[in-house]
Amino acid sequence: MKLSHNFFSRKLAGIYIESIRGTPMIVQALFLYFGVPMALGLRIPPVVAGIIVIAVNSGAYIAEIVRGAVQSINPGQMEAGRSIGLNRSQTMRYVIWPQAFKRMIPPLGNQFIISLKDTSLLTVIGVGELTRTGQEIVAVNFRAFEVYIAVAIVYLVMTLSIAKGLRMLEKRLQIVK
Amino acid sequence: MIKIEKLHKSFGDLKVLKGVDLHVKAGEVVVILGPSGSGKSTVLRCINKLEEPTAGRILVDGDDIMDQKTDINYVRSEATMVFQQFNLFPHMTVLENVTLGPIKVRKWSKADANKLGLELLDKVGLKDKAHNYPEQLSGGQKQRVAIARSLALKPKVILFDEPTSALDPELVGEVLEVMKQLAREGMTMVVVTHEMGFAKEVADRVIFIDEGVVKVDKDPHEFFSDPDHPRLRDFLSKVVLHT
Repeated sequence: MKLSHNFFSRKLAGIYIESIRGTPMIVQALFLYFGVPMALGLRIPPVVAGIIVIAVNSGAYIAEIVRGAVQSINPGQMEAGRSIGLNRSQTMRYVIWPQAFKRMIPPLGNQFIISLKDTSLLTVIGVGELTRTGQEIVAVNFRAFEVYIAVAIVYLVMTLSIAKGLRMLEKRLQIVK
Repeated sequence: MIKIEKLHKSFGDLKVLKGVDLHVKAGEVVVILGPSGSGKSTVLRCINKLEEPTAGRILVDGDDIMDQKTDINYVRSEATMVFQQFNLFPHMTVLENVTLGPIKVRKWSKADANKLGLELLDKVGLKDKAHNYPEQLSGGQKQRVAIARSLALKPKVILFDEPTSALDPELVGEVLEVMKQLAREGMTMVVVTHEMGFAKEVADRVIFIDEGVVKVDKDPHEFFSDPDHPRLRDFLSKVVLHT
């Protein structure tokens, strides 16, 4: 949307991205879970609030990744597409997007991993995710050392599989093998 | 085929074109020469509206490109462009580069488009590279693919924007050879170039643009043998020194 020709959608996208990027996610989570219900009088279940925060948060970063990748494509590509009679959206779809997508993979991978780890912050609103579950086990048996190592290993396994999957995707999209 | 009347183009405060008039008839090869910064590429880029003209009128095969009702995508498909930097699509094979226009713009079937694509690649001498990717080609080969990509729309005119300026000297010949062949076949061409030899040999008319206006518009023989305009004489003497 920040690439749009429409002034209002560009402004709106800018406000969204800046306000999300400019505030800590933990504050966003507390605001949505404790603050919003107070103002509006409706309760949001912690899991739903957690999912919304993660989605809205990573959405802002992903939007910037997409914009960066699209803008990094040589303007000559758009001109070449237009010069054979493709319209703007056709050129985006067949010429710009496939090239931009490839460039998005490494930063997108970063973002996935960050989002995954950020779920641990949702402990503060009582989502029963991995870190909180770990805390609960520690509260029962006091074996903090073993439990947190186990928690860390689970995160590591998940992030490593994301990284591995993206590397495979990158390889598959490589033009000349 | 192309009628340009009083074309003005400014970039901010900078007036690049100050009233260019130019007519190109069907089947004609018109070469545009001029010092760098004279606005010759800008004229070309206004014809297919890659640059928005500031004022004036441009008709391409009868269609007024400034008219909001004109389908500019159609005009561009009839007046395709070959770029200095080739601008091939790097994520597609050579053949896919050529067939994208026929398939998406002309709505041809893939089979028909491939047949046409291979014919055109054969014509520019690159049929055996059809399934390679652009990065595997030399500059001269890339530019010949770009010419095939332009031809694939079966356009009424092709605009060449310094097609050999980014090439190593030994690769210029193969591209000019393809362009000469097109000229012989009666293709309407507008060529911005520094290749004096091509202008002399192939052009029906040579245009000299300087300071944003057309200073000279003559057939190539007179243009080179009797440069009566002082700026042109100056330009030619410098160019000759370099070749």
